[in-house]
Amino acid sequence: MQLRPPATGAARRLARPDTLRLVNTAGPNPPASSAAGPGLPAGPGDPALDPRMRVRIGRLELRNPLLTASGTCGYGPEYAGVLDYSRLGGFTTKSVTRLPRPGNPPCRTAEVSGGMLNAIGLANVGLQRFLAEKLPFIRTMPTPVFANVAGYSIDDYVHVAGALDAAGGLAGIELNVSCPNVAQGLMFGTDAALLGEVVRAVRGVVRSGLLIVKLSPNVTDIAPLAAAAVDAGADALSAINTYVGLAIDGESRRPLLGNVTGGLSGPAIKPLALFNVHRAYREVAKAAGVPIIGMGGVRSAADVIEFLLAGATAVAVGTALFLDPTLPLRVCEGVTAYLDRHGAANVAELTGALRLT
Amino acid sequence: MSAPSNPTLRVAARDARVVRCREICRDHVRIEAVLTGFPASAPGQFLQVLCHDPDDPAPRFIEWSDSPTPGLARPAPAEDTAWLRRPFSIADRWDDPDGPTHLEVISRAVGPGTRWLSKLRPGDTLDLSGPLGRGFDIPDVQRPLVLIGGGVGIPPLLYVARVLAQRGALDVTCIFGATTRDLLPVPLCQQPRADGVATRCVELPGNARFPALVTTDDGSMGMRGYTTTALRAWAALRADAASALICACGPDGMLRAVAGVTRELGMTCQLCIEKPMACGFGTCLSCVTRIRDERADGGWRWALACTDGPVFDRDALLEYAP
Ligand SMILES: Cc1cc2nc3c(=O)[nH]c(=O)nc-3n(C[C@H](O)[C@H](O)[C@H](O)COP(=O)(O)OP(=O)(O)OC[C@H]3O[C@@H](n4cnc5c(N)ncnc54)[C@H](O)[C@@H]3O)c2cc1C
Ligand SMILES: Cc1cc2nc3c(=O)[nH]c(=O)nc-3n(C[C@H](O)[C@H](O)[C@H](O)COP(=O)(O)O)c2cc1C
Ligand code: FES
Repeated sequence: MQLRPPATGAARRLARPDTLRLVNTAGPNPPASSAAGPGLPAGPGDPALDPRMRVRIGRLELRNPLLTASGTCGYGPEYAGVLDYSRLGGFTTKSVTRLPRPGNPPCRTAEVSGGMLNAIGLANVGLQRFLAEKLPFIRTMPTPVFANVAGYSIDDYVHVAGALDAAGGLAGIELNVSCPNVAQGLMFGTDAALLGEVVRAVRGVVRSGLLIVKLSPNVTDIAPLAAAAVDAGADALSAINTYVGLAIDGESRRPLLGNVTGGLSGPAIKPLALFNVHRAYREVAKAAGVPIIGMGGVRSAADVIEFLLAGATAVAVGTALFLDPTLPLRVCEGVTAYLDRHGAANVAELTGALRLT
Repeated sequence: MSAPSNPTLRVAARDARVVRCREICRDHVRIEAVLTGFPASAPGQFLQVLCHDPDDPAPRFIEWSDSPTPGLARPAPAEDTAWLRRPFSIADRWDDPDGPTHLEVISRAVGPGTRWLSKLRPGDTLDLSGPLGRGFDIPDVQRPLVLIGGGVGIPPLLYVARVLAQRGALDVTCIFGATTRDLLPVPLCQQPRADGVATRCVELPGNARFPALVTTDDGSMGMRGYTTTALRAWAALRADAASALICACGPDGMLRAVAGVTRELGMTCQLCIEKPMACGFGTCLSCVTRIRDERADGGWRWALACTDGPVFDRDALLEYAP
């Protein structure tokens, strides 16, 4: 497994010598519980458990680079019957806030060309119910689970992230500083100074798990934001969240969404996401040795390869789960086939391997 | 941890073979597909149907070929492509003795997804997930049962009729409404009466032989008026009307009217509602409806039509409160 050496001061300070293995990646054989369904290869030849698929996010090793994206996979139980978590690289929960949030009035989603807009409004059960009702199931999930945390003040972020980290059972925290749906949500992810402040504050309370900062694409240049997050101690970056968009019904002259604006996701944003991942990688993450979890419109093995080449270490599937919740497992076969065809030793080798000359 | 071969749910299986497509009335097609290993289902449950060619703007794993630009020759979704799945009530379901399951959906062409469905031909394959959601809950088949469907809300009630007949229900009446005669998506075996007397005028699936009332807004077939006009006519002839359970599905205005009339007449009522859906699995949180909850702030909370519904008890739904 090729590991980039940590380079910047921030990254070096935070590098921990102990390699925490939260996932059983002992061998290519699936655990006994993971009988494969129709069309899903399992056993020694299972591409999802192929040793070449292992990647490293900070001190955590994932069995493969495929994750689910926050807000598209619930808290775990929703897809448990159909998506075999023992073959998934990692899972990210819906955003959790300090207090429960009912969310926005309907209509909350609208399909647009090449994707969809959503204005869910960070509907979630809140920290207390997450701990009481969601965490017990999450602890049984045979894959690293990252809790996505959103907030409206630095204090909110620190409170929620600290409580979740202390509760145990999570592989880490993903900070949603970029939800474009809630008016106050925009500021943390679009102002480098403020972003640095919130990440530094949360860094102080996230001790047992990883701290991942999810970048907003709703900025002129993502590089200063990526730098602010890395300098403040992020173990990894995820990129990108949704783009603010608007859909209009011309006949009624009204917005389609109850919230007026919403976040654009799906294949429509893939080229934009690839650009931002590549920019964050080249300008910041590569030198800092900080891995990027790429996302935005992923729906095929080809997309996964493109994100890896752009600089991602792992790749998350979001909206495409709505078409097929098993997609993160299905694409693994195409990824290993690519490794074979290109004579690549492992997927980690592909990270940032985009040829520019 | 459950494995992907789930006994209660099938996802994204691209293996339903279309065996029959019938244009049953203007803008409506009835599609019969055959597949194996489909889990047990209940009337009122729905399917999430992929309404584009899976080989075209492929939303999933693309084969890597040895072509010079593998994976790059993928066509982008055109303006008029339904990318996300579309929800459809199961209009009928039966199983051959030797295994295969037959599923029917009735689709009204209103946009890109439903227009794509209307072009399906026998021999095509259909990619569907299901069965999803909670269906009608009818523990007692001895009481009077009235199945009310409006327009493209009729399909789930056809499946209800089949299951009720199987379970030996005898006192079942169907009330099917449409705006006008050529928008009624059910086959008739005789002319429906205009005077409010239910007859066996509708061909129901399976061995169901229940009487039906048909209404049209413009009086072009059956009774002139709404399904609630027919419900009142039915109730007027029955001393035990208040003991009836009403199962209804249809447009918003109809459900509101049915909620009002059943409440007024003291009947129990379950409503199958439609909300825009993205996932169908309870993960996107888009299909919300307000339901009564005394413990919640303000006495209500959001429920998900895809997993808590689409069938709800009338009194739970705030949008149809008095
Ligand atoms: C549980 C459930 C069961 C359904 N069962 C059936 C059925 O048996 N037969 C059938 O023909 N249709 C059914 N529908 C509605 C069907 O899903 C929509 O007509 C379909 O999604 C439209 O897709 P489209 O791409 O053709 O059009 P779109 O362009 O997506 O929509 C066309 C128009 O229909 C409206 N619309 C879209 N989806 C919905 C929805 N879910 N509810 C209300 N309005 C909507 C849009 O706002 C727009 O005005 C059901 C919906 C739900 C939620
Ligand atoms: C319905 C929906 C809900 C989402 N909710 C959240 C959320 O709560 N927190 C978050 O950080 N991102 C959320 N996202 C953003 C996704 O995690 C992801 O960053 C984005 O959708 C791009 O990936 P995709 O194109 O594969 O969906 C949501 C996306 C969708 C479509
Ligand atoms: S359709 Fe996604 S939660 Fe109901």
